Amino acid sequence: MKKKSTAFDYVNTILLILLALVCIYPFLNILCVSLSDGKAVMAGKVYIWPADANIYAYKYILSSPRLGVLQALWNSVWYTGVGTVVAVFVTFMSAYVLSRKRFKASKVIMTLFLITYVFEAGLIPNYIINRSLGLVNNPLIMILPPAINTFYLIISKSFLNEIPESIEEAAFIDGANDFQIFSKIFFPISKPSIATIALFYAVTRWNDFLNPLIYLQNDALKPLQLILYSFCISTDRTGSMLENVMVNGVMIMHSNIADAMIFLTIIPIVIAYPFAQKYFTKGILVGSVKE
Amino acid sequence: MINQAAVTTSQRKKKGLLQRAAQNLKDSKLLWIMLIPGLLVLVLFKIAPIFGIAIAFQNYSPFLGVFKSEWVGFKNFQTFLSDPYALTLIKNTVLLAFWTLIFSFPIPVVFALFLNEVKSKVIKTGVQTVSFFPYFISTAVAVSILISFVSPSEGLINILLLHMGIKPIFFMSTPGWFIPLYVILSVWQTFGYNAIVYLAAITGIDTTLYEAADMDGAGRWKQMFYVTLPSIKNMIVTMFILNMGSILSVDINKVLMMYNPSIYSTADVLQTYVYRMAFATNGFPDYSLGAAVGLFQSVFAFILVFATNQVSKKFSESAIF
Repeated sequence: MKKKSTAFDYVNTILLILLALVCIYPFLNILCVSLSDGKAVMAGKVYIWPADANIYAYKYILSSPRLGVLQALWNSVWYTGVGTVVAVFVTFMSAYVLSRKRFKASKVIMTLFLITYVFEAGLIPNYIINRSLGLVNNPLIMILPPAINTFYLIISKSFLNEIPESIEEAAFIDGANDFQIFSKIFFPISKPSIATIALFYAVTRWNDFLNPLIYLQNDALKPLQLILYSFCISTDRTGSMLENVMVNGVMIMHSNIADAMIFLTIIPIVIAYPFAQKYFTKGILVGSVKE
Repeated sequence: MINQAAVTTSQRKKKGLLQRAAQNLKDSKLLWIMLIPGLLVLVLFKIAPIFGIAIAFQNYSPFLGVFKSEWVGFKNFQTFLSDPYALTLIKNTVLLAFWTLIFSFPIPVVFALFLNEVKSKVIKTGVQTVSFFPYFISTAVAVSILISFVSPSEGLINILLLHMGIKPIFFMSTPGWFIPLYVILSVWQTFGYNAIVYLAAITGIDTTLYEAADMDGAGRWKQMFYVTLPSIKNMIVTMFILNMGSILSVDINKVLMMYNPSIYSTADVLQTYVYRMAFATNGFPDYSLGAAVGLFQSVFAFILVFATNQVSKKFSESAIF
């Protein structure tokens, strides 16, 4: 495989680079359109660079109360921040308990987790339960039910199982109790594993669409994904139209506004991606190979 | 110290199972306390809903609740299956899952095989990193981008078609376009992510195998086909089974966002029907019927996963049960 490059190599490499461009171009285009002048977009002038660049589209979406983008942005941030912290804490602490050999009930409990993972109850049974718990139109719907994802629980448990028992024994001899061992010893040394599941949870929470759609009817509670759906996707009575807007003599077309909304929704992912990428890669490998 | 331990051990042996369990509870009291949040999530949000499936066999009324609603056996299932529309739903669900499977499963494997051949590490890592990115954007964003691109008036695709003298195509309201668009979007979002496992498996292949093939006169293509591919065969089968469940269940988020009444004939699937039954009806929501259809869909998917598992047992050493 270390021979000189053949025609195969050139064609292969070019095709793969084109494929990579297909993966990245849509985002580039969205960004360019959101920063361009509406008329230039209509004329088909915007491909890889903004035309008559301006940030009016962004200013408009963040200041218009009708669109509710600012409120939705804050909601998404809150759900993701609090949701991730709660999920990581509950998942990791539970994984710690379940990975202790002296905890005899772990087999039974893990089996229950696995059964419910493979056989999910379904949309409506979940709704019935959540409603009886008072979670409809309640921000906690984004925090409590998704607090444990069985797959991430398994990954965490696998990781904790690898840590040698001697550390635990030494701590016991020193007189520490379980919680102290967990918080002062296991938690700090598990930082890579925690970072991985934290990132996975954060992305899932930020992107969640179905739960808010079903449970958060109150406009003030809706996250960014739902606003995006309402203005850019939904064509029925639950959606609203984006109109062309005149601001300071500049025409902002609905494609500018839509694309600005879209880009706003992916900004956190775009920013976090270069740093998070290696955690995600490792996480997938551990998850798929181990179980 | 040792004597004390000996006494305690023999004392424990005399106690029964129940007492040992109680002893265990006392010893690991703090562990149990630490597990409480997790247990609550398990019981309230994972186990309890399973009992909620009972409403599929009832004529559930939200006012009466689960315990007081009338039991009707399989009537909801009968109602559903005797409706001619049920056939359309089942057909759409199966077709969508089938086409998604046909494309989104092999493409990551092929991609991994060819990416592996790239000599430049920079390009290889670069392409992999970029291809991985679409996985992390939300369905709402992905569909918004799709809609933006295929818009009849301002979308890039139609602008290009216009330049070529072709009339604009109304992609989102043409029934025939639904499945292709859905599959393209699915593949675009997942191929990079799914390829990672295969790429990792390929790097684990013993290089002497390639040297031996080389000496036997095998060129690049033959090497890829007879060395690389067979070496990751088990990984492929494992991934196939692991993902079978999710592939066959169809992504309700995507369908919900991509469909509209004008294309229900190809786009409406079992899951979206369930959603409309409960959350988007003009009249009173029919939770029982929705739950019944939902249960029907789950069992259907499970049977398919089980069948696939049995088939794969015959072909290789990998299986999950």
